[in-house]
Amino acid sequence: MRRYKGYTLALVALAILAGRGLYAEFQAGYYTPTVQGSIRQVLPSVGSTDAIYDAGKYPIYPTVLAAGDGRQEVEVYCNVCHSPRYITMQPPLPGGAWADEVNKMVKTYGASVPDDAVQKIIQYLQSRYTPETRKH
Amino acid sequence: MRDSRQFPRRQLLEVLAAVGSAVALDRLFVAPGAAGQEPSGQQEAPEFTGPGANPYWNSPGQLVTYPQKEPLILLTDRPVQLETPRHCFLTPLTPNGAFYVRWHLPALPNSVDLKEWRLQVEGGASTLTLSLPDLLTRFKPISIVAVNQCSGNSRSRLQPRVAGGQWGNGAMGNALWTGVKLREILEAARVHNNSVQVQFEGLDKGFGPAGYGSNRFMKSLDLNNPVVDECLVAFAMNNEPLPLLNGFPVRLVVPGYFATYWVKSLSWIRILDKPDDNFWMKTAYRIPDTPRGITTPDEVKAGNVRTIPISRMPVRSFLISPDGSIKIPVGFPLQLQGISFSGYGAIRRVEVSDDNGKNWRDARLGEDIGPYSFRTWSLAWTPKQPEKYQLAVRATDAKGNTQPDEGVWNPGGYLWNKIERQEVVVGNAS
Repeated sequence: MRRYKGYTLALVALAILAGRGLYAEFQAGYYTPTVQGSIRQVLPSVGSTDAIYDAGKYPIYPTVLAAGDGRQEVEVYCNVCHSPRYITMQPPLPGGAWADEVNKMVKTYGASVPDDAVQKIIQYLQSRYTPETRKH
Repeated sequence: MRDSRQFPRRQLLEVLAAVGSAVALDRLFVAPGAAGQEPSGQQEAPEFTGPGANPYWNSPGQLVTYPQKEPLILLTDRPVQLETPRHCFLTPLTPNGAFYVRWHLPALPNSVDLKEWRLQVEGGASTLTLSLPDLLTRFKPISIVAVNQCSGNSRSRLQPRVAGGQWGNGAMGNALWTGVKLREILEAARVHNNSVQVQFEGLDKGFGPAGYGSNRFMKSLDLNNPVVDECLVAFAMNNEPLPLLNGFPVRLVVPGYFATYWVKSLSWIRILDKPDDNFWMKTAYRIPDTPRGITTPDEVKAGNVRTIPISRMPVRSFLISPDGSIKIPVGFPLQLQGISFSGYGAIRRVEVSDDNGKNWRDARLGEDIGPYSFRTWSLAWTPKQPEKYQLAVRATDAKGNTQPDEGVWNPGGYLWNKIERQEVVVGNAS
């Protein structure tokens, strides 16, 4: 387990570094945690007159995945490409649909997830996010 | 001397104390988020809907603020996907700050340095490297009003539900786009005779491995597709620079087509001599090659479904006001208001029913600002009975396509255009 986590972190770091090196002309993929519960007005930007058009970091609105065996794998592997909100946004889906989704992420999108973690992630989603099992 | 218009502070406190003892304040007010304390008839939107169809006009997510945007409905924060609330569609043009946001991959741009940024045009006899000033001055700018609608708009209506962005109806917007004709850029690049497609790539990037859809987003159009003649490389949206989240500095505009082709922060145009087989063309954004793109889960499982790339938007119309949030007194003169559009050309007719689709009346169409624009509509309506009315609206376009009363199902959750309904509660007035 620990070995996989380290491996994934290294992969993510490498991917980020590679992304930054290749596209030096823009800043991309930066996010920052935010406070929930209130909507603040957006004030006019106070920018410089250089040629950089900057929106700053995009806010992250944290969501809580249901507790259960496999949650950690979801947080580690799925989060490389998308936040857990992609999961909590979904309607309750049948178990087969969750298996299809996870397999699609690995086979079609090329997500680098070890086989045993794939099975754990599928079982976790099936035990928490189907019409029969979803609580919140 | 105290200003005599000012209410003395001590008296104010006395009045407040008197009011406080006369009525129990907690019967009138409630702290936000207090459980079981919602005002009667109101409830907070849930975090998700399903397994039934989403019953709300919008996705039920929380409102959030993002740089250069007004409060929008959160679908996902990474990549960023935000939906436009219903009330923003009362006007024919959607304000830039309210325009929905949909990125595919997590490394979307936070900033662009225009000193470095260039639009690269490759694959022709001439390779072009265009700066923003080049685009602003070397070509003749033209403008067009066009609807941009996500392929998955209203995906949360499908039964059975399908995985993907769970959009309500707000993954759409209408703007005045100004820019350079794509054809002029292609002419300057001198397209070879044997070229077949033109590919577009922007700054929608991810951390996935090279060669996979999670690495970069690209879309292509056939060079002989008539829509290419109408495409713009747009640097202005409603006469302003595009918000970064909507594709600054330039995005492709493909009038009548779903937004998947409207590549944001467009940075590479590639002229191809064979059809594009990248993931976003070959695998994603495809629809069954059937009437209205309809199929069934069983047909998909059996492997019987031939697919084609998604293209034009079917005719749609929406009731924007009233939205069902207010009880209407009987006899109250209302203006029913909404929008309509079609990717197949101008809207010819909008009809409204107040009896769940049994009888229909023609609505008055608003100003015509272009065949690919929202066309607003309105209809005076005074409810005669205290009852729950089922309002319905349907549009017909110039090609004679009318919205049907049957839903759509396909595995991507695309092409939804069923007649929209809205329940309006009418109460006694005396």
